[in-house]
Amino acid sequence: MTSMVVGSNLLVDLVRGPRPAEWASLREAAEGRLEGRDLPTTKDEAWKYTDLKALSARAFSPAPRATVDISAYLLPEMVGTRQVFVNGHHAPHASCASAVPAGVRFLPLSTASEACHALGTVKNGEVPELFEDLNSARFEDGAVILVPKNLKVTLPLHLLFLTRADAPVAVFPRVLVVLEPGAELELVEEHHGEGTYLSCPVVEVRIGEGAILRHERVQRESPEAFHLGTLKAEVGRHGQYHSRTLSFGARFSRQHPWVRLAEGAEGTLDGLALLDGQQVADTHSFMHHAEPNAVSHQLHKCIVDGKARAIFNGQVRVAPGAQGTDAKQQSRNLLLSETARVDTKPQLEIYADDVKCSHGAAVGQLDPEELFYLESRGLNADDARNLLTYGFAADVLQRVPVASVRRSLRQLVMARTQAASLGVLA
Amino acid sequence: MLSIKNLTASINGTLVLKGIDLEIKAGEIHAIMGPNGSGKSTLGKVLAGHPAYEVTGGEVLFEGRDLFSLAADERARAGLFMGFQHPIEVPGVSNASFLRLAYNKKAEAEGRDELDPLEFDDFIHEKIKLVAMREEFLDRSLNEGFSGGEKKRNEILQMAVLEPKLAILDELDSGLDIDALRVLGDAVNRLQRADRALLIITHFPRILETIQPHHVHVLSGGRILKSAGKELALELEERGYDWVLEASAAGGAR
Repeated sequence: MTSMVVGSNLLVDLVRGPRPAEWASLREAAEGRLEGRDLPTTKDEAWKYTDLKALSARAFSPAPRATVDISAYLLPEMVGTRQVFVNGHHAPHASCASAVPAGVRFLPLSTASEACHALGTVKNGEVPELFEDLNSARFEDGAVILVPKNLKVTLPLHLLFLTRADAPVAVFPRVLVVLEPGAELELVEEHHGEGTYLSCPVVEVRIGEGAILRHERVQRESPEAFHLGTLKAEVGRHGQYHSRTLSFGARFSRQHPWVRLAEGAEGTLDGLALLDGQQVADTHSFMHHAEPNAVSHQLHKCIVDGKARAIFNGQVRVAPGAQGTDAKQQSRNLLLSETARVDTKPQLEIYADDVKCSHGAAVGQLDPEELFYLESRGLNADDARNLLTYGFAADVLQRVPVASVRRSLRQLVMARTQAASLGVLA
Repeated sequence: MLSIKNLTASINGTLVLKGIDLEIKAGEIHAIMGPNGSGKSTLGKVLAGHPAYEVTGGEVLFEGRDLFSLAADERARAGLFMGFQHPIEVPGVSNASFLRLAYNKKAEAEGRDELDPLEFDDFIHEKIKLVAMREEFLDRSLNEGFSGGEKKRNEILQMAVLEPKLAILDELDSGLDIDALRVLGDAVNRLQRADRALLIITHFPRILETIQPHHVHVLSGGRILKSAGKELALELEERGYDWVLEASAAGGAR
């Protein structure tokens, strides 16, 4: 295996590198688009606030197979419904799908050849982002989830992507979720890791008529990691897609959620990022109201401390003829230090006239009225501040439906907001 | 218990309290009434230590201590409580655990034993009966999604937990229906003792039918224009505030 290098001469090296055997046409198309391209710079509008210099200075090799003790990552609701991937490769001994109900396909891509035709078919009508193409060209494995018509899956499914990087490696997790009409599913997707690495996951979601997917996405990569994720969801008529992206880790992370809503569909793209030190977290979302009477909700919250930086660019497009659209977007940001920074920008493109679109962006410190309320109950100023900071984040977490995930994330946020000693877990 | 002498205070450079004198003794219930914008809520906030207000003159002694030498949280731990007109919501922090936190902060300051979650559970279940609160409200996030009336119920629950020496209740009646007002009014009465005092801030006299004050003061334009016994509340109910304001302007209300 020759080494693949992602760097200033990224694409030349990539195209020269090894290509996994399956999905040849998908890979060829991606490689073709990558030909002659290079990493975006801050001169590109979409990357204006996000400098990839730190990434271009490094070289990443394909990740070797590894074994990892996953006991710390097991979630009680999902011991029999999990697929685990280590360094981009399926880990059969760490996975267990014994409790997955009959009829549901929950498999590694490498053993699910029937998914061939569906992979790469959720298209947003534009040229894929560079990092999506990188994934298509070089992913090793990932998961495919197929839920048949009208089946409501009661147990949540757990997708765990772990990376152990002794030397800098690149991983390209790939996920395809297909819900047939009337199906329902809860999915928890987690990314954890140690060391310096590049993770470029791509998740494709196709939701049939009246089907419902609830998707929790937890990003707890290592503090040295780069995470550049793509999510594409196509929601059929009266279908629902509700996702929450919770970003805690990575030196640098970028999320590209894209959702297309058909008639009467409902879409949620909520987000929470907790940043400190030199962390950068960038979210460029796209909510596409392609047809009439769809509803969308976006609540994006960032808590930024140290010299960290958060970027939110929320695009909402209401297509011609998409009457009766109801789109809501809120970007709320809490700055905890003088040197923290937030850039937030709603971007509404409305080509229909009978629509309700609201958006709001707020960047600020804690509300003095709220601090006063807590202080008037005998909490000192530090405790009051920490409790409110925790509450700001917990607002997003409390809607996480899987109890163990909700609890562990609350504990994480408590620790990060110095609120743990207060002992007030809801 | 509380001695206010010629208190003046401003917000953003505008004088809003223009010389308040008020003496509240242990065992007493006082009512501050007045039209909207009179400064009555300001008085409560200044006493509780709201950071937006600047005390520009005068003196307030609470149990003989200079109140303004204490930060808001220190005042609370010393036994001052303010029931808010608009309590805030804190998601992700359960009501019960917040109450325990507040209780333990005060217990620690008073050198009493703190309560662990099990002990507090017993303690709080007695308290919620007092305000007729349903148990589910203990597990919910602090005030989150509570109706206006439920928030007020929760304020009185906090008062019952903290057992303050002096409670200032700002517009307790706003957002409450008649039944809830009677329940909370009765709860406040049962919490009142000879070594405690109450300051009720209200626009409407109705609440004073349940919580009967010993003294009623009319505040307007940042000054107390008239003080009398509880019969003044009835007179205000019948005649409104204008006559007090007019009499004061004519120099004869006191």
